[in-house]
Amino acid sequence: MSHIIVCYKWVLDEADIRVNADLSVDIGKAKGKISDYDKNAIEAAVRAAAALNGKAIGLTYGGSEAKLSIKDALSRGLDECYYLNGPEALKTDGAGTGRALAAAIKRINDVRMVICAEGASDTYARQTAPRIGALLNLPVVTSVSQISIQGELLTAKRTLDDCVQTVQVRLPAVVAVLPEINPGPIPGLKAVLAASKRPQFEMKTADLGIDLVPLSTVADIRGYVMDRKNLIFRDGDTAARGSALATALRKAGVV
Amino acid sequence: MAGIYVYSDQVDIAKEIIACGKSTAKPVTVLTLNGEDARALEDSGADRIRLITGSSEIIENYAQAIAGLLQAEDAELFAVGATPRGRDLAARVAGYLDCAMVSDVATIDYQNQAFTCTRMLYGGLVQQTETWQGLGVVTIAGGKFAPLKGAKKAPTDTLELAADTRVKLIETAPMVRQEVDIGRAEKVVCVGMALDKVEDLQLAKDLADVINAEIGCTRSIAEERHWLPVSSYIGISGAVIKPRLYLSMGVSGQIQHVYGIRDAQLIVAIDINEKAPIFKAADYGVVGDLYEVVPLLIEALKKK
Repeated sequence: MSHIIVCYKWVLDEADIRVNADLSVDIGKAKGKISDYDKNAIEAAVRAAAALNGKAIGLTYGGSEAKLSIKDALSRGLDECYYLNGPEALKTDGAGTGRALAAAIKRINDVRMVICAEGASDTYARQTAPRIGALLNLPVVTSVSQISIQGELLTAKRTLDDCVQTVQVRLPAVVAVLPEINPGPIPGLKAVLAASKRPQFEMKTADLGIDLVPLSTVADIRGYVMDRKNLIFRDGDTAARGSALATALRKAGVV
Repeated sequence: MAGIYVYSDQVDIAKEIIACGKSTAKPVTVLTLNGEDARALEDSGADRIRLITGSSEIIENYAQAIAGLLQAEDAELFAVGATPRGRDLAARVAGYLDCAMVSDVATIDYQNQAFTCTRMLYGGLVQQTETWQGLGVVTIAGGKFAPLKGAKKAPTDTLELAADTRVKLIETAPMVRQEVDIGRAEKVVCVGMALDKVEDLQLAKDLADVINAEIGCTRSIAEERHWLPVSSYIGISGAVIKPRLYLSMGVSGQIQHVYGIRDAQLIVAIDINEKAPIFKAADYGVVGDLYEVVPLLIEALKKK
């Protein structure tokens, strides 16, 4: 049976992150969530699995909190979910992530497709799918906005900056999908209830026998604060505010 | 030749990255798959131009060969323009080399025999400084460095590389640009989710007409409501723009959207919620109902 793996990431919700006055970053109140664009990727995997009469299998690499993601992931239509557990995940880089995921994927049989979102909503580095392809020596197709599968042949549309390419590749392949590939719908109640009955497996990175040390080191982290005028017109009637804005725009020479 | 290797599928970005590379006083070699680009790069300041020939028109298919080349030549850095093709190629090369890679760097410096760069996380909320040892890969977006002018003419040689032939190009369709490229617009009016119905886009168009602007939107307007094409949405996963004027109506200002406008010269926002994050990112703003404010603004602007 064909296995379609979709890699997803448990990230901190950027809405809960605070930048202090001294530009230090406070993640204390940040809750976790499945990365926004991974929801589209999970749905793409579920659809691909249907087309291939196969199983859609979630795979996530994270620290202990990533376990919280599994139920949400399964409720999005995945048949199974693998959780690759490693404390080093919290401080890893693209190289470490690629190695860990590639090693986990090697342990799953009959992999026909590996689907990733183009980027995670916290880092948006866009490295994971290409690195996995290189490490596993699988062909890679990125920036994918549409896929169709006929037997072993995957046809994909890549939305690039200046054109739309149509490419073809024989499976197995690694595919990085853009959010526009399909929506990532909110799971219905039936799907949420079904999730708890679906198989979950845990792997530990320590058992994979790979080098987990990240290659790039973080020298500094600080908040980025926009340094803008912040002249906001809130007083007076609407006409007065509109007028004040028009004056400001004229003074700035933009109208 | 050791030193810095540069690639971009957009020749203007290649020129900028070459200039950045030359500022380290290291030799710079630029790779290209395109003969015309090779000629255009002759006075870019690069020390050498290598025109890749092989069986594929897809640059990403040369990743393994390029990785081998970088190793054989003792390269210190592979700097690639941050376009969809460039990011794919760069990450594949990093995968084959199993080396460090930092994506979409905002700045890059060479100090104490190592490269250090900064990049944004969390949609632009956090800036992280990273460094590594040995050969690494970075992607750099266009517009970060000024290209060199009138540099000494660089020699070009042909480099035959083996291509990965598994992914085949069937067809290339140019982008159907019914609208102006939002990335090149001097002024942009951006609509957000506070707009009630698609017909209300007319209000945005009326404002855009008065100030001579193009129309952009937030991701949800394009991807969920489908009111505007995907090419119009501004944000970290869409267009990152640097207009003279960005004026939003009904945009709350989520960090991923603000990332797309952070380098705009002037940011102006109209929104009913005075606590909307867009106001922290704005130079000027009006708190109010866009359905009232925008018509009044249009009137005020029409009065000369």
